[in-house]
Amino acid sequence: MSEEAREGNEALEELRARLLEAALPHVPFDGWGEAALLAAGRELGLDTVLVLNAFPDPGRDLIEAYNHRIDLEMLERFDEEIPRDSKVRDKIAALVRLRLELLEQDKEAVRRGAAFLSLPFNAGLASRLLWRTVDIMWYAAGDTATDYNYYSKRALLYGVYSSTFLYWLNDRSENYDATWAFLDRRIDEVLKVGGRLGKTMSRFMSLPERVMGAQKKDSLKSRLTRRKRPFTPRDY
Amino acid sequence: MSEAESKPRRRAPLPGDPTRRQRLESMLRVNHAGEYGARRIYEGQLAVLSKSSSAPVIRHMWEQEAEHLQTFEQMLPERRVRPTLLQPVWHMAGYALGAATAMMGEKAAMACTVAVEEVIDQHYAEQSEDLADEPQEKDLRKTIEKFRAEELEHRDIGLEHEAEQATGYEALSAAIKTGSRLAIWLSKRF
Repeated sequence: MSEEAREGNEALEELRARLLEAALPHVPFDGWGEAALLAAGRELGLDTVLVLNAFPDPGRDLIEAYNHRIDLEMLERFDEEIPRDSKVRDKIAALVRLRLELLEQDKEAVRRGAAFLSLPFNAGLASRLLWRTVDIMWYAAGDTATDYNYYSKRALLYGVYSSTFLYWLNDRSENYDATWAFLDRRIDEVLKVGGRLGKTMSRFMSLPERVMGAQKKDSLKSRLTRRKRPFTPRDY
Repeated sequence: MSEAESKPRRRAPLPGDPTRRQRLESMLRVNHAGEYGARRIYEGQLAVLSKSSSAPVIRHMWEQEAEHLQTFEQMLPERRVRPTLLQPVWHMAGYALGAATAMMGEKAAMACTVAVEEVIDQHYAEQSEDLADEPQEKDLRKTIEKFRAEELEHRDIGLEHEAEQATGYEALSAAIKTGSRLAIWLSKRF
């Protein structure tokens, strides 16, 4: 990338950040879309062309930018507040909690965002954003899986995070205590499911070794037809 | 710089081409998958040939593949590249290929090694060329070149051990090469 292009990119990123910041207060009233974006542009005294160039598909682009900003803030706070040597379970729980606490500042906008993302034609965007968030969470928690576990871990957290998020949206308990209890229960469940899944998968993955091991010790056939119980005199 | 300019460059990037980041991701993903598969092939061969005369040679190659694999296992999370979705498939298929060729005899096992390593050599050569005009990936290129040399060594070991005298060498080799290329194509994408 040339120096000029890099500078141009940085300028665009900065403009996008400022626009997003200015648009957020309008979102609870105007929704995630052009109206909120143009209102932000007017407030900042920017040319409409510039504004639309920064977010060509206003609703979806604004949500994506907001989501990304929250992910980055979550990581920052995670680095500051959570000790490195905590258990993985605690790190994941803390990340989910930090993220929801950050979303709380813009709760009405987030509520509208959830409605926007639940529209069928936004399903792709919604799952992409969610996947990116859980991916960031797992990497932050120190995950180094390079096999199928990479996917199963993220899929399980995907379920935990999205269900906790929906619970949180309608939670009116003090300090969101009910949400944090909900989150704990979901993580407990997932650990159980994950444990069982892990056992099943490792049995499956060791299949080739077990078949070949049988061939070494005795014939494959005798291994497959081996009796469950030892012979007793009555068998003869 | 002048050297790069005098060389005829590949065509300029067009809109819709994979970005540098995307190319790097698929590169690391396929390398990880390949080394994983290679290690599994030798594991499959060892399960059958562990008492034969070629066992030490296979074990030596296995050790090198395990080291390659470890390098990429570290690189993926460091660079935030997702692993291939097909890892369980390569886990099974690699082992099965190794065990099946080993059961056909030591020469067939060596023929399998030669075929696979030849494809991997081409694959690494392409990557190394791709990385040639990216100075920031110098270390990665060096790693790939080192691995490529070791894969070539494996091929030569295979040839020394009479791979070409395996029954149906041509057919076996062609089949395995096609399979390996398909595996590469898939791992780059999924």
